[in-house]
Amino acid sequence: MSAALEFQEISKEYRNFPGRRIRALDRFSLQVEQGEIFGFLGPNGAGKSTAIHLAMGFMLPTGGSGSMLGSPFGNARIRRRVGFLAENVALYHRRAERLVRFYGALNGMRGTVLKKRAHEVLEAVRLVEHASRNVGRFSRGMLQRVGLAQALVNDPDLLILDEPTSALDPLARVAVRELLLKARDAGKTIFLSSHLLSEVELVCDRVAVLHRGKLARLGRTADLLQSGEQIEVIVRGIRENAFAGAKAEDGIVRFSVPTNLQRPTLEQVWNLGGEVVSMNPVRRSLEQIFLEVTAQHEAGQKI
Amino acid sequence: MTPVFLIAVNFVREQRWPILVLLLWILLLAFLGLATDISREREDLLFIFKQVAVYVVVFSIFFGGSAIYNERRSRRVLAVLAKDVARHQYLSGLVIGVTITCVIYCFSLGLTGSWTLGPAGFPVEHVWYLMVCLTAASMLAGTVALMFSTFLNPFFAAGATAIVLGTPVALAHTLSTRWGYLVPVYELTTRVTSSSFSTPGLGTWWPILLALGETFLFWMFSVWIFKRIDIAVAVE
Repeated sequence: MSAALEFQEISKEYRNFPGRRIRALDRFSLQVEQGEIFGFLGPNGAGKSTAIHLAMGFMLPTGGSGSMLGSPFGNARIRRRVGFLAENVALYHRRAERLVRFYGALNGMRGTVLKKRAHEVLEAVRLVEHASRNVGRFSRGMLQRVGLAQALVNDPDLLILDEPTSALDPLARVAVRELLLKARDAGKTIFLSSHLLSEVELVCDRVAVLHRGKLARLGRTADLLQSGEQIEVIVRGIRENAFAGAKAEDGIVRFSVPTNLQRPTLEQVWNLGGEVVSMNPVRRSLEQIFLEVTAQHEAGQKI
Repeated sequence: MTPVFLIAVNFVREQRWPILVLLLWILLLAFLGLATDISREREDLLFIFKQVAVYVVVFSIFFGGSAIYNERRSRRVLAVLAKDVARHQYLSGLVIGVTITCVIYCFSLGLTGSWTLGPAGFPVEHVWYLMVCLTAASMLAGTVALMFSTFLNPFFAAGATAIVLGTPVALAHTLSTRWGYLVPVYELTTRVTSSSFSTPGLGTWWPILLALGETFLFWMFSVWIFKRIDIAVAVE
């Protein structure tokens, strides 16, 4: 099975007015497999939107190449199978349903199929009661939901979303999350760029962290969240002050130790007459990982 | 073909207010036709007709010169080009959109001109010939402006278009009148502005065909440029 989205050693440079060059992407390679939700993270200016715009064919790479659903970047025909939502969504000021139908028609959809599908996607983003309202009068959150509807109208195999939930309230965010999980279950691929790390943590199968145009970290979300360096130990029958940093609650004592001290810690607990309830790798948040990766990269680049 | 048509219709829809304002001038001409004694004021009426006619060439430059820039700046172009729409189809849609706008104007002016100038002694078939000249001229002018708008902002695109359209005129005045047909916008517009009741200006059709051919060439050149530029400007 070929990758849904593939960047191969892709670079992109911009030129500023006085001729100064800015490298937004530097020999960036990445493979997004079919049927997964892929989280694309990075601080502002990391090159996330540039990578997405290159994939969509809005920009031309300075070097390297890439493919989307097996076709080179920029192939218009393949975009019929792709749904895209841009950051800061900008749409024509029309009635919501007509707008969704306009974008569907651009993808070759027609007649009752299009009409039915437009209604379905507006229902999915909870805008069906506003279908006859002009989107020019919509709030930012509603606009983002119409943007999502136009991205979904052609029932795409690959969904590329740039900050799809940034303007949404918590209820709408949950709805979008459910929508993404449902799409993944239906075999669709979702490439999700977001700053909302908690959202990414909840839905993404794999994540990549981009920093200054380079891939800084890539892996399965579950693997990244489990630290290999620390173990959380839960015991009972010992005193709280037996281990540094331990916390006791209802007779249960919790503390963390480095992985290499796992065995001596166990022996120490037993020697103290305690009983080990569990020992698990410490689970970190994506936010911690994100901050760690960017800090490491910053330090590396300063050296 | 359908995406091209959809983009063209959408362009006209987006320009509906400027088009309506332009049509008000034609309404004014119609009002003058009603309110004046046509037999006595016919020269004044023809003068206003010619003046109102020339506006469409100027406005086609503004429509063409700002089309891509506005779409890129507002980022609305992204949602369109994220669909099964190739860049040449997008440009074709805009060229046809500019043309539809000009046709709406010229057709309305032709109707009003036939109705007001016809009874005053201006041959109706000449009015329609002049409208075809004007449509061809505005199509070409709009496409030249659109070509420049692929890489320039509207102000510079309008300036560059003025240079392209004005150079043949300057050459025609200094060297030979044949140079006027190099980019025949001025030549076609002059047919309208120099028409009178004694010489209504029914002429040859080949400058119109030349204008249509050049519109196609400038469209091809626009596509060539547009395929080589970045449409999205990074927000980061």
